[in-house]
Amino acid sequence: MEKQTPLTEALFYILLSLRKPNHGYGIIQEVEGLTDGRVVLGPGTLYGAIQTMAARGWIRIYSEETDSRKKKEYVITELGRHVFAEEKKRLEELLHNAEKMEGDTW
Amino acid sequence: MVKFKLFINKDEETEYLNEMAGKGYAMKGFAMGFYTFENCRPGEYIYQVDITEGLFRVSGDYRDFMQEMGVEIVCLWGPWVILRKRAEEGPFVLYTDVESSIEHYQKIKKALKIAVILEIACILMEVISAAGMTDRESVMLPLAGCCLLAAIVIFIVREICRVNAILAELRARIGQEETNRCLGSRSPSLLLCLGITLNGISLAIPEPGGSALYGFAKGALQGIALILMGAGIAITVMGRRE
Repeated sequence: MEKQTPLTEALFYILLSLRKPNHGYGIIQEVEGLTDGRVVLGPGTLYGAIQTMAARGWIRIYSEETDSRKKKEYVITELGRHVFAEEKKRLEELLHNAEKMEGDTW
Repeated sequence: MVKFKLFINKDEETEYLNEMAGKGYAMKGFAMGFYTFENCRPGEYIYQVDITEGLFRVSGDYRDFMQEMGVEIVCLWGPWVILRKRAEEGPFVLYTDVESSIEHYQKIKKALKIAVILEIACILMEVISAAGMTDRESVMLPLAGCCLLAAIVIFIVREICRVNAILAELRARIGQEETNRCLGSRSPSLLLCLGITLNGISLAIPEPGGSALYGFAKGALQGIALILMGAGIAITVMGRRE
């Protein structure tokens, strides 16, 4: 099993954008919007991330449209929320400590 | 239009396909080194080359996903997938972060390693068939085959070295330690490849019947092959970066 935290930036933002059911293209747009265009997920990166996280049970398929253009929607699972919360806690600690130390020394 | 080209380096292949698309030739199919092109508006498509776990197939998931992204699967060859997207729909880069690029090159490395193992199995079969032969004439052909296969193995190992260098660079970018590599930064020299190929060809040439010129040509070819192989080994061992 790979190390699960820290999450890569891509995994972090994909989980964030799957708090509501979302499909591949929607994820890319949401992440791009959230980061002001700094993080633009390529199809290979997004596909790999979705496969990995679905295999780990962090996200699941929410719906599958039945027409010819199959748009699969994904949504975060309880386990995914837990992983995200843990990562958020870790990031908060980093930030908190950075701010604390900055006040002391600089 | 059909063009014959062999690539082992998928980054060079991608560059080539995009260069052709820029000139108004859209790659439409590939088989055994033959690329077929059809006319397109110059720069109409952006091509990318991906690798999958399967051979000559992609999962339904992959197909649906790429379709949703507006990416067309142009053709499948071995583990390779040639993809393209209309340039007017914006930039097309498959792997946009270091972590997924590392995964991508690791898959490539694995496929190259499997290719090396298969080639070595072929060499062993050639050796076994050579061992079963009694006369000097017919033993030369499987030996020539061995040389050519060995040249291919060295060629693939060179590509593995290139991929290793890319992986090391990517890992350094996210502060990961380099995994130990037995070859270091060394890569087998192309001269070694060329030498072994020539040696194989010279072995495949039948024994001279009597013509002095013919015998001389064969001897000269073997001589050049030996010099090239020697130089190749020397350069490889001295570890000169090419």
